[in-house]
Amino acid sequence: MKLDRRRFFGSAVGAAASAGVAAKWTRPKYSVSYQRPLSSVAVLNANVYSEKLESLILDGLRLFRLDVAGKSVLLKPNLVEDLPEPVNTNSTLIGAAARCFLHLGAARVTISEGPGHQRDTELIVQTAGLETHLVDRRIKFVDLNRDELERVPLKASYSGLHELWLPRAVLASSFIVSMPKIKTHHWAGVTLSLKNMFGIVPGTKYGWPKNLLHWSGIHESILDICATVPIHFVIADGIIAMEGNGPLQGDARQLGKIVLADDPVAADATCARLMGFDPLQVRHISEGSRFLGNLHENRITMLGEEATTPLRPFSVQPEFQYLLASGTQPVPARQRSD
Amino acid sequence: MNILGQTLITRRLSSGGWSYLASNQTSVEATALSVMALSTESVATARLGIAQLLRLQRRDGAWPAFVGDTEASWTTALVLCALNATGEFGSARENAFHWLVSERGREGHWFWRWKFKTVDRNVRFDPEKYGWPWASGSASWVIPTAFSTIALKQYTVCNRLEASEKRIKLGVEMLLDRMCVAGGWNCGNSVVYGVPLRPHVEATAIALLALQDEHRSAVIDKSLDWLKRRAVSVDAITSLAWSILSLFVYQEPVEGLKNRLAILMGDGKKIQDNATLATAILALNCGEMIHPFVILR
Repeated sequence: MKLDRRRFFGSAVGAAASAGVAAKWTRPKYSVSYQRPLSSVAVLNANVYSEKLESLILDGLRLFRLDVAGKSVLLKPNLVEDLPEPVNTNSTLIGAAARCFLHLGAARVTISEGPGHQRDTELIVQTAGLETHLVDRRIKFVDLNRDELERVPLKASYSGLHELWLPRAVLASSFIVSMPKIKTHHWAGVTLSLKNMFGIVPGTKYGWPKNLLHWSGIHESILDICATVPIHFVIADGIIAMEGNGPLQGDARQLGKIVLADDPVAADATCARLMGFDPLQVRHISEGSRFLGNLHENRITMLGEEATTPLRPFSVQPEFQYLLASGTQPVPARQRSD
Repeated sequence: MNILGQTLITRRLSSGGWSYLASNQTSVEATALSVMALSTESVATARLGIAQLLRLQRRDGAWPAFVGDTEASWTTALVLCALNATGEFGSARENAFHWLVSERGREGHWFWRWKFKTVDRNVRFDPEKYGWPWASGSASWVIPTAFSTIALKQYTVCNRLEASEKRIKLGVEMLLDRMCVAGGWNCGNSVVYGVPLRPHVEATAIALLALQDEHRSAVIDKSLDWLKRRAVSVDAITSLAWSILSLFVYQEPVEGLKNRLAILMGDGKKIQDNATLATAILALNCGEMIHPFVILR
C-alpha cells in the first residue's frame, strides 16, 4: 500500500493519541515515594489499658531509635464518635504515647483529630476520657475540623481531587504518628493507620462525614492524603479491636496487641495479618505498597514477635469475605435486626 | 455587657469576622454565630461582622466556609439566618435564597436516586427525599438540610412561592425520613447495614429547630423526648447550647440547663472555639432576645 501524505499524517496522529492514552494509563499516579529498603514493625503484647502501657510503649519506641528530639510531634488517634470502647483509640494509650514522645525529647506533642461523624468534638474528647491526659502543658489537643486551613496540592492523583484544604496543625508538625484503632470497616474493609488519616481532612470544608472523599473513592482518597501528608510512625491500638460491622457498630475483639511501625503500609499489612486478612486484598494497602511503604514480609523486620494469623479471623460483612487470608475459615459478621 | 460577650468581642479579627480557633482565618460559621450572639449586646461589633460576611458573599449568592475558600458551602444557610434576623440586606438575602433553592444533595439527580434505589442499598433512606449537602457535589445531610430549611422558612415567611415551598417540603420530608429509629437524628442516615444508628445531640437539636412549625406528630415528640432526656446529662458546651436553643422554641423548661451551661462556661476564656462561645451566648440569652432560629408561623 502506498503511504500518501494524508495517510501518513493520519497514522501519525493516531499513534500519538494511542501513546498519550497508554501513557496516561501506565504513568504512576504518585509523584513521591516514601519506600525504603526495609521497614521495622514491633508487635507488643498487652491485654488491658493500664498505667503500665507507658513503659511498654517507651521500651517499644526505643527499639526504633527514633530521632524526635526537639520535634513537634502530632498524634493522630482515631476518635470518631462519643461511643464506648472499642470505637475510638483508647485514651490511656494516647496519653501514654504522648508522654513517651516527650520523654524521648519531643518539644511538644499535639493530639489532634477531626471527627468524621460527630460535630461536637468536645463531646468525643470527654467520652473518650482524653481530658485527663491533657494536663501537661506540653500536650495539647487541636480540633482539626476547625483549625486554620491551607490549600495543598495533592502528591498523588487517584481521587481526581487534585488539592485539599488541610489543617495548619498537621502541616506544621515535623513528626506525624497515626494511632488507629484496629477495626473492620464496612466500606473500606479495614480501617488502620492509612485510613485513619481521613481524620485530618477538615469537616468545616468537607462536611460531617467527609462525604466528598467517599464520592471520590475511599481507597483513592486515602492514597492521595497519605502521599501528601506522610506518616512517620504508627502506634495501632489492637488491645481491644473491632470486628464485624465496623467502624462504629462492630463487636469488640480482644486481640491483645499494640503494633508499632516506622512505615504505615508495613503497619497496616501486619495489622491485617493479625486480623486474619490478606493485606494484598485491601486495595489501598496493596496500591500503597508501590510508594507509601512495604507490604511484603521479606521487606519488614519484626522487632518483636512475629505477626501470626489468628485461629479465628476477624468477622467481616459478607462482601468482604475476599479479605480472608488463605487457610482461614470465614466468620460472618453478627447479624442484627433493626 | 455580659463577660462572655466581651470575651467574644476581644477575639474579633481586624477584618470584622471571627475565626474558629486562634488564627487570622475568618470562619463564616463562627462569624455568623457571633453576629447573632452580639446582635443586641454590641450592635456596632455585629455590624462589622455583617460587613465582613457581605464582602465574602459569592456572586451566585452563596458563602464559602472560610476566607480563602472559593467554593459555595453549607454556611450559606447560617448566614441567611443571621441576615434574616436583621430584616435588612435584601439583595444579599435574595441572592442567598435563590442559591439555596437551586442547591441540592447529590441524590437530587435522577441517576443517583436510581442507584440508591437499585444497587446501593446498604444504607436505608428514601433518595426521593433529598435536602442540602455540606459541600456541593456530595449527598444531603441532616445539619445543612436543617439550617437551609430554617433559613428558607424564615426568608419566605410572608411570601412563599411554589419553588421555595417545594424545597422546604422536600427538606422537611428528608429530615423525617432520616430520623433515627429511637427518635433524634444522626448526621445523615438512620440505618446502615441493618443496624440503627444512634442520635447525636447537636443534629437532633438543629433538626428539631427546622421542624418547630410543623405539625407536632408522634415522631417529632419522640425526638423531643429523646433530646430532653439526653440534654440533662450532656456536659459538652456545643451540644448543651443547641439543646437549650431547640427546647426553648418547643416551650420546654430550659432554666436548669441554662444554669448548668453558665457554670460550665465560666468567663468563657477556656472556650477556644468562637463558634462554640457564640452558640453558648445565644443559648444563655434565650428568652431575653429574639431567637435567631425561630420560625414565625
